[in-house]
Amino acid sequence: MSSANRLASALKEVVGEANVIQDPDRIKAYAVDGLTPNAAVSPGSVEEISKLLAYANSEKLAVVPRGNGTKMAQGGVPRKLDVVLSLLRINRITEHDVPNLSLSVQAGMTLSAVQEKLAATGKGSFLPLDPPYTDEATIGGIIATNGSGPRRYLYNTARDLLLGLKAVSPNGDIVAFGGKTVKNVSGYDMTKLMVGSWGALGVITEITTKLLPLPEASATLLVSFETLAKAGSLTRKVLHSALLPSAMELMDAKATGQLGEKGKYLVAFNLEGVGEAVERQVKEIGEMGKKEGAIHTKALNGQEERSFWLRVRDFALATKAPVVLKSNFVISRQAEILGNYENWAQAAGIGCAFIGHAGNGILTSYILENVVAQPDPVVDLIAKFTAEAAKHDGNLVVESCPSELKAKISVWGQPRTDVVVMRRLKEKMDPFGVLNPGRFVGGL
Amino acid sequence: MEKDTMIGELVRFVGRENVLSSEMHYRLYEYDASLIRSKPDCIVLPTSTEQVSKVVKFAHDNRIRVIARGAGTNLSGGSVSIQGGIAIVLTKMNQILDMDIENQRVVVQPGVITLDLKNVLARHGYLYQPDPASEKVTTIGGNFGENAGGPHCLKYGVTSNHVLGAEIVLSDGQVVQVGGKALDNPGYDLMGVLGASEGTLAIVTKAVLRIMPKAEAVKTMLCIYNSIEDGGNTVTAIIGEGIIPATLEMMDNLTIKAVEEAYRVGFPIDAAAILIIELDGLKDGMERLTERILAICRQHNVREIRVAKDQAERDKIWAGRKGAFGAVGRLHPNYLVNDGTVPRTRLPETLAKVVEIGKKYNLPIANVFHAGDGNLHPLILFDERDKDELERVHAAATEIMKVCVEMGGTISGEHGIGVEKLHGMSMIFSPKDIAAMKKVKEAFDPLNLMNPGKVLPETEKAA
Repeated sequence: MSSANRLASALKEVVGEANVIQDPDRIKAYAVDGLTPNAAVSPGSVEEISKLLAYANSEKLAVVPRGNGTKMAQGGVPRKLDVVLSLLRINRITEHDVPNLSLSVQAGMTLSAVQEKLAATGKGSFLPLDPPYTDEATIGGIIATNGSGPRRYLYNTARDLLLGLKAVSPNGDIVAFGGKTVKNVSGYDMTKLMVGSWGALGVITEITTKLLPLPEASATLLVSFETLAKAGSLTRKVLHSALLPSAMELMDAKATGQLGEKGKYLVAFNLEGVGEAVERQVKEIGEMGKKEGAIHTKALNGQEERSFWLRVRDFALATKAPVVLKSNFVISRQAEILGNYENWAQAAGIGCAFIGHAGNGILTSYILENVVAQPDPVVDLIAKFTAEAAKHDGNLVVESCPSELKAKISVWGQPRTDVVVMRRLKEKMDPFGVLNPGRFVGGL
Repeated sequence: MEKDTMIGELVRFVGRENVLSSEMHYRLYEYDASLIRSKPDCIVLPTSTEQVSKVVKFAHDNRIRVIARGAGTNLSGGSVSIQGGIAIVLTKMNQILDMDIENQRVVVQPGVITLDLKNVLARHGYLYQPDPASEKVTTIGGNFGENAGGPHCLKYGVTSNHVLGAEIVLSDGQVVQVGGKALDNPGYDLMGVLGASEGTLAIVTKAVLRIMPKAEAVKTMLCIYNSIEDGGNTVTAIIGEGIIPATLEMMDNLTIKAVEEAYRVGFPIDAAAILIIELDGLKDGMERLTERILAICRQHNVREIRVAKDQAERDKIWAGRKGAFGAVGRLHPNYLVNDGTVPRTRLPETLAKVVEIGKKYNLPIANVFHAGDGNLHPLILFDERDKDELERVHAAATEIMKVCVEMGGTISGEHGIGVEKLHGMSMIFSPKDIAAMKKVKEAFDPLNLMNPGKVLPETEKAA
């Protein structure tokens, strides 16, 4: 029996024949960076995942966990790829403790399905995460990649929201950490360790998270400027004030145009909270904008508001940008770095749009044109962008790019001194390199 | 290695004046705020990262244990050298290195006292949010090692949500950078797993903290109840209404009386419970929110409501709350603080069980709690010289932990496992869970020299 057949046989024994894909036409959809796995498998229970990983561990197979695959393009090329493990059948809410404002939900459920359920229960609540790929992104994937969006400005990110987590270790052990309480220091904070670990330390099967009550009121204010300096000045003033927008995005003309709005530089504010506070902030930020020389101000409510933020979140999807870069740096340099990036992209003749979380020091660059034919200018541009972010205590991560480009660039940037600890952790927790080998920082 | 040789080497690294090795010093450093006592073999007070690194490397190469220590206020024995070794006391590393207001970050050495930092920030109109009640004496490093909370963590999170980066010394003396001023550094969340690691994984020699502008407005209310249950139900109802105040603290009668006697802040000594509720944020809508909260209090039989008129009144209320442990400490020679945490909605039930346990073991228990996040602090009062009483205290504490776990909670909300709660770990973790955590420990500290015998119980390796 060939090894592929032996594998298929073992997988079928665990999950049932119907849940194993090996057909060459169907398996293509599960390729990662051009590498096609031997099989894709959809377990229906945590016990099945445990058996699968135990088997993979003993056979030293390479497994890539998968939700809806929205971020499969990110990360290094896998060193090896035998099985893609789909979490889509592990997709229920296991507990919604309404008065405790906590939710336990499995990895395979989409965030949008979760939000719908939460909004419709009791007085209405939400999970304050707004990462890209609104319709498709699954809980497991979002947590494993630490996905976030504009509203992290007020609500922070997964590491600040999760109360507990269940996973299957690379050797098949079923483990659980944390719980339902907002404070918990019993043992090591393994929940945080797993957030953003890129599926390399374990397969997340369930999370328990804090929820927030739905805000009483919400409004969005778009403030347009002719110059970057003025737009930047507004964001800085708001940042250091007592005002509390839930989001503050600074974007260039290409992005603004793509979103159908006016201005060379746009600052978009999301205001959420009690009615009086929302009203006051819309007014006050509008006035501050005028003072800084805004050429246009527009308020959005209801459906218009929702639609705007969906378009911001799903910008990469809508533009089909082949290369998406995420730069992190110190907050005060937001406008300066955007300006430099703009100039360099223009000088290189590479069409690029920019949207940044102006209160966080995070900037996403969307390269809008096909780069595979002429990769070198893009490689140089990425190097320039990276050096600039590094100059300001930061880094650059390539969130997606054609596989061909991955041979020429380091998608995670240069590892830092703490990679020595990460290496040791990976070796201890996944000695045979079962999960996502080679796809994370430092080739881990 | 001979003790004298060791001391000689340590003197070379940190200077004669920063090495303590007299019998008196061993006594001074043999305890923390728990009931655990054990002497270190030597005490050093380094003044730089380089010195910490040299000491740790030396210890590593000679298989000597080390234990990092801040103010020594640990409540679970985390700061006590139960296996001897070198106590590395970080209180001399107390500089604020970088006040970076425009980037909303501050970089500090681990020995900076939390309240000192907050006072400096206040002059710039800025805040570091974590506010453990011990902030007057505790250090940032200690706060991070325990992932300290405090009344404001209901709204703002705990220490690890505000420490974004660190320079750390690994068990072999290597100095590495984790995180930093920028967000989302790629890689595993090492900062995340270092928080609450109780000095067993690495030693922090610099911390990068997140700071934010002071809130525009604040409203502090003292709500007085004739029953603890009414107070507890008020808490659940407020959050059920969709209001998340900045704090929701509760104190019972025994605590109120102790506080009044110690500080005379005007707490009513005949009340069964008081709730301290604080709102902060923009002033718009705050009056209406306050009214909604007060209406909920009235629905739950509040006896009296006092809204602080000014900063002075506000300060008085908080002085009473933050001084609670100290005040209770005057009642008996010892207390043991339990740190169980339950889902907020189970708090009244849990409290009732704690009262029963106090009666069962014939021990007075004063209760202070972070009602908003379900974190109780039953203070069991006793005299450790009475061996029978001490035994009953331990039994009561274990039973309280069990109750919290039964309610869907956990055994430690913010004071750490240390030594004191090791036996409780099996109540909430399976052997496989512990084995996974052991792998983290082994990755950071393969020789088990960093604060050994804490956090993880000795168990057989899982198959």
